[in-house]
Amino acid sequence: MHSDSKLYKFLNKEKSAGVIFCLPFIIGFIAFLIVPMGISLYYSFCDYDILSPPKFVGLDNYIKMFTGDEVFWRSFKATVYFALVSVPLRLVFALIVAMILVKPTKLTGFYRAAYYLPSIIGGSVAVAVLWKRMFAPDGVVNALLGTIGIDTNFAWLGSTKTAIWTLIILAVWQFGSSMLIFLSALKQIPKDLYEAAEVDGATKVTKFFKVTLPLLTPTIFFNLVMQMINGFLAFTQSLIITQGKPMDSTLFYAVYMYQQSFNYNSAGYASAMAWTMLLFIGLLTLILFKTKKFWVYDQE
Amino acid sequence: MKSKKVKRILALAVTGVVCVSSLGACGSSSDSGESSSSESSEESSSGSSDLVMAWWGNQVRNEKTQEALDKYKELNSVSVEGQFYQWNDYWSKMATAAAGNSMPDLIQMDYSYIEQYVDNGQLLDLTPYIESGALDTSNIPENVLAMGEVDGGNYGIAAGVSGNCLFYNKTVTDELGITMKDNMSFDEFVAIAKQITEETGYRANILSQNNYFTEWSRAEGIPIVEAKLPVESADQYTPFYQIMEDSIKDGWQLTPDYIDTTAVETDPMVYGSSPETMAWCTINGTSNQLTAFQSAAPEGTEIAVTTIPTTDTVTSNYLKPALYFSISADTEDPDAAVALLDYLINSEDANAILLGERGVPASTAIADYIYDLVSETEQKSFAFVTDVITPNSSPINPPDPTGMSELTDTLKKVAEKIGYGEASAEEAAQEVYNKGIELWGE
Repeated sequence: MHSDSKLYKFLNKEKSAGVIFCLPFIIGFIAFLIVPMGISLYYSFCDYDILSPPKFVGLDNYIKMFTGDEVFWRSFKATVYFALVSVPLRLVFALIVAMILVKPTKLTGFYRAAYYLPSIIGGSVAVAVLWKRMFAPDGVVNALLGTIGIDTNFAWLGSTKTAIWTLIILAVWQFGSSMLIFLSALKQIPKDLYEAAEVDGATKVTKFFKVTLPLLTPTIFFNLVMQMINGFLAFTQSLIITQGKPMDSTLFYAVYMYQQSFNYNSAGYASAMAWTMLLFIGLLTLILFKTKKFWVYDQE
Repeated sequence: MKSKKVKRILALAVTGVVCVSSLGACGSSSDSGESSSSESSEESSSGSSDLVMAWWGNQVRNEKTQEALDKYKELNSVSVEGQFYQWNDYWSKMATAAAGNSMPDLIQMDYSYIEQYVDNGQLLDLTPYIESGALDTSNIPENVLAMGEVDGGNYGIAAGVSGNCLFYNKTVTDELGITMKDNMSFDEFVAIAKQITEETGYRANILSQNNYFTEWSRAEGIPIVEAKLPVESADQYTPFYQIMEDSIKDGWQLTPDYIDTTAVETDPMVYGSSPETMAWCTINGTSNQLTAFQSAAPEGTEIAVTTIPTTDTVTSNYLKPALYFSISADTEDPDAAVALLDYLINSEDANAILLGERGVPASTAIADYIYDLVSETEQKSFAFVTDVITPNSSPINPPDPTGMSELTDTLKKVAEKIGYGEASAEEAAQEVYNKGIELWGE
């Protein structure tokens, strides 16, 4: 290519080079995210059964959702309960383990990897199937209870009181990624702060609440926002382990949406549900950001 | 200030994108669950194949069908890729494939879905092929061939004929010296059920699937979905739920916490640790599933089959296509697909492998041919259809209308509520009625 040619000059501009290198992502982002999102927004105003072309029905889907669908509210409540219980529990757990693992010993590396593992495999179908077997009447949980003298055939997944807790425990078990983030944050807390606190006669407990915790709040905030979003979108556990049973007590929002779309062929209604969830999560995130100034310690 | 606002909006936008993309991800995660089953079958067939056949089913069916397809390749050098799923996954998969006009060439179809797929033009009309003789139906009785007729066309050949039935653990009844006679009345059944629970701890499971609902309403002369709007008032359903409520109160019905009927293998009749968590009988699927139940049952347990007890079994019993083979309208090579269909229905080679796992073969010639080849269990299942159901039955209800899958889910949920004692019979009946109005009412 001649170095005077227009194309050559164009390609050598810093701006165009940047754009070109970004193109693979930009194209993917538009084709697989923005366009489908736009289409789903349109479908949410349609009666669309997947098999025949969509018919525009205005706000009907949204009206039905809020006024005429009990299952929608049940699934919403189950999801909110799941997210509000499992996320704080998981964060507390992650923080405790991170506090333990922050002190370097010979086996720290191994433990970090071992505790991170559930985060990678925990969302998989295989683990969900395993979980289902563990809590079955003749599963390992009842067998363990048997060894300590509690002989039971209790169906953990068959009771409205315990079924959702098996899913919460599964979610809490996947604390690894939050733990890693806490670990790196813990290491960044300057040592001189602790030394100064010690000089002032602070106990271990005081040090934790007055030094560690305030300095971790930005990390806690980040983890909270990210995990909340994931919590509201939980899907696999509910679909594989409980199928929403018993009596919709574990029917997560995303699973109900999936049922509407693929079992009842109401893709329009499912799209409306997706957008409602998007708005809800957006609102929740906004509220969390608003509360930031009350409890998140800003180092700057 | 301004830039801060922009940042915030950006942050929100990113949050939005993240959660929508995760919503997308949940679809794909379930896809991966499904494809894992199809991938395993892809491996067994070589690389690219000429046709694709999809079905739902159990382990026995998957193995036999794959074997029959391998045989087809050997005989005709046409390779067929088999894709198999569980019932629920299957219909999700077909709905999305239909939307993308990429359905498999040959698909297994069900009575409850055929009308919907025909309405949407997803299935190939087989009439021309039947007339030309490409699809040989000369050995299929008129009434069985008619099972595939929708709106004047023929869209499916019954892969097997069967009937709804009550499966029971014959080892348990034999031990107590109880004989389960066919065409038993409901009162006789309850007396036996009470006795079995009292003496062994096993309970009956006729509540979980809504199959019993169909038999009961047929016996009582109540059309469920004929006019799409179920009945005149909710009261007509109340007696049904009263039976269920009483069965829980009297303790002979297995409570839903021990019931997982997603697959034959997890049905509490064959799966469980002790009599208290198991059922001695179940209404789950059609009589051709006897083989699957028998092979899923623990060693030394004999599973048997009888009619579903109602007040009038001749009215409530009916012959049904256990399932159909249909050809998708998307197929690129209808002739090849029809040839494969013909092979599955009329070939002795194929049926010597399939052995009526999908029900008594539609072709009487094939049914006679394989009778001597099948196991004793299958002979019983054949005999049940030909000797018990056929002489004591009434015509089948018309195919289910669109929306039936949603009503079915409601029926299951309502049955669950009754099982947990969370709803009275009246409330349950009202909920089903309301759903019917919502789906089909004016």
